[in-house]
Amino acid sequence: MEKAKGFLFDITKCKLCGACWIADKERNKLPIPEGDFTKDKLSENAFLEMDRRHDRGVRFSCMHCLIPTCASVCPVAAFEKTSIGAVIYHKDRCIGCRYCVFGCPFNVPKYEWDKPLPYVRKCDFCYSRIIDGKQPACAQACPTGALIFGNRDDLILEAHRRIRENSNYVDHIYGEHEVGGTSLLLISDISMYKLGYPGNLSDGAVPSLTWEVLEKIPNVVLIGGTFLAGLWWLTNRRNEVMQAESGKKDNSSDTESGSEGGGK
Amino acid sequence: MAVFGAGGYSIFVRFVKGLGASTHLSDSFPWGLWVGFDVLCGVALAAGAFTLSAAVYVLHLEKYKPLVRSAILTGTIGYLLVIFGLIMDLGHPYRIWHPLIMWNPHSVMFEISWCVTLYTTVLFMEFSPFLFEKLKWKKALRAVHAVIIPLVILGVVLSTLHQSSLGSLFLIVPYKLNPLWYTPWLPVFFFMSAIALGCAMVIVESFISSVLFRRGLEIDLLSNLGKVLVVILSIYGLARYLDLSSRGALGLIFQPGFEHAMFLAEILLAIIAPIGLLIFPRVRRNKLGLFMSATMVVVGFILNRFNTSMTGMVRFSGVKYLPSWMEISVSFMLLTIGLILFAIAAKHLKIFDEDSPCLLPWQTCRDNVVCCLPTPAKVAIFSAWAFALVLIWTGVNDFARFKPLNHPTHTESAAKSEPNDLSQYPNLPKDFTFSKTDPDIGLVTFSHSDHFLVGAECKDCHEHAFSIISTDKKGAITDYHSQKYCGSCHDGKSASNDCISCHKK
Ligand code: SF4
Ligand code: SF4
Ligand code: SF4
Repeated sequence: MEKAKGFLFDITKCKLCGACWIADKERNKLPIPEGDFTKDKLSENAFLEMDRRHDRGVRFSCMHCLIPTCASVCPVAAFEKTSIGAVIYHKDRCIGCRYCVFGCPFNVPKYEWDKPLPYVRKCDFCYSRIIDGKQPACAQACPTGALIFGNRDDLILEAHRRIRENSNYVDHIYGEHEVGGTSLLLISDISMYKLGYPGNLSDGAVPSLTWEVLEKIPNVVLIGGTFLAGLWWLTNRRNEVMQAESGKKDNSSDTESGSEGGGK
Repeated sequence: MAVFGAGGYSIFVRFVKGLGASTHLSDSFPWGLWVGFDVLCGVALAAGAFTLSAAVYVLHLEKYKPLVRSAILTGTIGYLLVIFGLIMDLGHPYRIWHPLIMWNPHSVMFEISWCVTLYTTVLFMEFSPFLFEKLKWKKALRAVHAVIIPLVILGVVLSTLHQSSLGSLFLIVPYKLNPLWYTPWLPVFFFMSAIALGCAMVIVESFISSVLFRRGLEIDLLSNLGKVLVVILSIYGLARYLDLSSRGALGLIFQPGFEHAMFLAEILLAIIAPIGLLIFPRVRRNKLGLFMSATMVVVGFILNRFNTSMTGMVRFSGVKYLPSWMEISVSFMLLTIGLILFAIAAKHLKIFDEDSPCLLPWQTCRDNVVCCLPTPAKVAIFSAWAFALVLIWTGVNDFARFKPLNHPTHTESAAKSEPNDLSQYPNLPKDFTFSKTDPDIGLVTFSHSDHFLVGAECKDCHEHAFSIISTDKKGAITDYHSQKYCGSCHDGKSASNDCISCHKK
């Protein structure tokens, strides 16, 4: 199995040139809007957003979570976490329930609201390029080294090295642990929360919240079924005994409904 | 007719132009009325079927038998409408069968699709005897009766799963849903409220059909059900209270905002008012009293589903969502279809047990509905409704004035340098003490005014719907010190990092 890949985005190095942004448009054949590219927000036609915040360039795109919420919530497993780390979308499975849009902690998947038969759209880590042995388009385009692509483990070491060697950095790799870890790692000289990334994420993977409930289902079915059957037997027995004591009358209770039905 | 015209047109727009043209949904608010009402409420309103069939067939509480048929009928119709609602809402409705083939057991939605499918089948089978009777298919009738007990048990188990899983659906958004509604107990609460709602629905529909078909009312049975309702609601109410207080979220109830008004309206209608009324036998035994209380429960829990799926999401999503007229018209049309189906079935199939003497509706009214209700109860009912309406009204009003925050990943966070002027913000909240910090080293007290004075805006910390509370899990204590929270300013440079500046002891 290949090693899981990742991105490291170093906010201090980004010069907001927009090369990654245009590379993403070209690779995914997306329409290119007029005007300032920093105004182009994530949407069904923008898988990568480069925004200006506090005079820094901030990247927003799919984080390619290690334990992706989108893949966990999808009823038909339309999202797949591949072994190289990319979270990709199989559009022919999708039923369009939008649970992925609803659930993603980073609000990444976007929906084609204006189509009669809409699909979900988001960055796919340039999956086809990676399996061809190339880099994702945006990483290849980046001239300043703000965005680098590599094995996630190596990138984490690299990020720690940078933080250790330069005290300007905030001592936190965003994405190392958030929601169980993500493939896109970010380091910065001010808090990522100030730059617009959700600051309230804990380290636990979000999908475990629902899995804790879902894994109980077999037990609920077995215990619940047995319990109810037992109750039925008990109350049935009690009724029988009571009827036997009071003598005569109809027989058991469930033939009663039958005779009532046949009556009319 | 108008209902069908508008509904039909909306369906047309939905399938020709897409969801964007027919609804007010967006990427920030992907689920709206069709999920919140058609699906969540449709399923919940069908809960009478499993509650009563469990009581009658499994627990042998034979006295409730006269009610079980109409409950099963409502359930069947309810589920049909849910499926129809799903067809409207799904992006690719013709793929509705995909979850049956393409499995993902980690998905709550997957579980729900299976429950809908299986339980609709079960309901149809439970319902089929009414048809077979009409058609005089004795053999088929006997066949169904032979399996009715396992069938009912299966139905109860499936319903339990389904009702609770609608709550689990929202477990996945701890960072988005308002902590007033987000709790790990959501599945349990949804299940409990479904039982209450099921009982209330049986009361309401018996009452309505008694007026429609001019038949008598099983008032003894129904008031018994009212008693059951009080018990369930009390347990439910207590559980909600304990949950809120254990998460330290009780304070949120009094934080002004439309969430607060909607929450209070929900609690008032679903729990407080009905318990307060039904606890008195005089109200319980009175037709109007019983009916009004049950209606409150129904409306209250519909509100609960709305709040969980919509109100609680607004603040995070940062957009105002109000359903478009097309969404409303489709939902309304579904409701009408449901009522018509119910009326047809009730007329032609043997739904209500005896063909009771015709009681003229006005006679019923004059004789024993209005006059018999004790005045305090009348006043109580009236004021509860009025109060709830006022609450909802203030909620909606507040909502209209509410300025959406930006999309959370798009917030220009204010690292403003000039200090704020305290007088420009007279309603600044009081100091807040974090309940979960370690008392040994002194509780952490957060001073709103101090932060405000150094130039912080409320939204700098509270943009995620007060989620410091919602995510307050293990490990959170140290987190506040880290770069992610307080520590990002209290680093010894921009602000003091002396323990004593927060921990007062
Ligand atoms: S960021 Fe969202 S869309 Fe991307 S992998 Fe994580 S959960 Fe899925
Ligand atoms: S919208 Fe499609 S991809 Fe997203 S959860 Fe639903 S079925 Fe899966
Ligand atoms: S990895 Fe590919 S799809 Fe994703 S943002 Fe970069 S260029 Fe776009």
